[in-house]
Amino acid sequence: MKAKISELMDGELAGQEVASPLAALREDGEAREAWRTYHLISDALRDTRMLSRDFAARIAMRLAEEPTVLAPAARPEAAGERGRRFLVPAAAAAAAVAMVSWVAFTPQETQRAPAPVAQAPRVKPAAPKEPARVPLPVATDDYLFAHQGYSPRNLLPGVAPYVRTVSGETAARKP
Amino acid sequence: MRALALLLAIGAGLAQAQTTPEALALLRKIHHATQTLSYRGTFVYQQGDRSETSRIARIADSAGGVEKLEVLDGVPREIVRTRDTLRCYLPESQTVKVERNGDQRGFPALLPERFTDLAQHYVITRGKGARIAGFDCESVMLASRDELRYSYKLWADAATGMLLKARTLNEKGEILEQFTFTQLAIGPVARDKVMPRPAARSWRVEEAGAAPANLADAGWSVNADLPGFRKIGEVRRRLRESQSVGQVVYSDGLAAVSVFIEPLAGHREPVRPGLSNLGAINIYTREVANHLVTVVGETPAVSVRRIADRVEFRRPQ
Repeated sequence: MKAKISELMDGELAGQEVASPLAALREDGEAREAWRTYHLISDALRDTRMLSRDFAARIAMRLAEEPTVLAPAARPEAAGERGRRFLVPAAAAAAAVAMVSWVAFTPQETQRAPAPVAQAPRVKPAAPKEPARVPLPVATDDYLFAHQGYSPRNLLPGVAPYVRTVSGETAARKP
Repeated sequence: MRALALLLAIGAGLAQAQTTPEALALLRKIHHATQTLSYRGTFVYQQGDRSETSRIARIADSAGGVEKLEVLDGVPREIVRTRDTLRCYLPESQTVKVERNGDQRGFPALLPERFTDLAQHYVITRGKGARIAGFDCESVMLASRDELRYSYKLWADAATGMLLKARTLNEKGEILEQFTFTQLAIGPVARDKVMPRPAARSWRVEEAGAAPANLADAGWSVNADLPGFRKIGEVRRRLRESQSVGQVVYSDGLAAVSVFIEPLAGHREPVRPGLSNLGAINIYTREVANHLVTVVGETPAVSVRRIADRVEFRRPQ
């Protein structure tokens, strides 16, 4: 079953094949433990600190500990609040788990989609840390030629920097 | 004993963080040699897993000299430069691209007084000697003081100062690109060695038609905001299908960054905003007010990006 769980994680199972590992995951046993461990390994490999062992459980606990905005502290006597207090974290935890499962089940889908093309941002982005990596512009050689003309010629033998071109392989180069 | 080792280490560290007069003198010597020597040679350019061999010839004269570069690998191309004109010959498309320097002062060169300025942004020290292409060479290291520029290591002939090898290094000390002469003859060069091929007379000519400009008049605010980088040129020019492309060039004396601003209307290819890289060259593309802003420089990505992000447009009143 562990092998099946691993294949499920990697999105290698198709159609009917997913039924049995999913059923195994529903029972909180060895399969679920393997599922968590594999995710932990995959997080560690990708150097992701956000998700790790018992992520869903910890999130649920933290949410439960947080004061509920819906229940003002000045009204502890309200009987109905207690019920809601438990309801909200549970719903949030369920949402978190749902999100984790969605993330875990969808990557293959997104990978099969055509390579995402960077779009001109419609809304001003909040200065992303890492800019999108894109292939060299089609006109790279023209830009380089125009740029070198005004670059200071100082130490390198005069025209030597002009060897910096993409030599017609612009379009083929990966970002 | 450990304290002594620590002291020695600190001492060495301090010594390394100081630009030395000998190193500056060698830089001046290299600069002088590139301006005054005539030579012919073959050099190899390496970048990533790619290497290209080129022939180069230079005749130094009172008119500013003539140089020719002939790339021997890949797509054939030749570049001939005189004091104020640059021609790129592309035999496959039978095209000659011409750049003339708008302000008639010739292409910018590093002025000797700026060598001392370089020391503000690079730690300039002497390195170990080496033998390259039969020449006994001295070396000089220019270690960047910040993340805005790359570091360089240069090797030059001890006798003449002619540069034989140049390396560009990133902050991890990895080699981004390297020029190395494999063969070099210093001395008089025949005129025909710097002439373009005669067939090129009938080729299609693409003139950049660069003319001095002030992009601020058109509402553009371009600001390098990088310590040590000064504006060395601002022109309007042709570039491919665009008839009027603004170009502003900044340099710290060693590295340069060009900002190109062109209208998106009539731009054939789709715009892919983001960063792309070719060895030591970084290119950052973004869209501003229906214009394509492309920043190209032999500087780290952070520098081209910072300049690109500062480009703004305000409709002139």
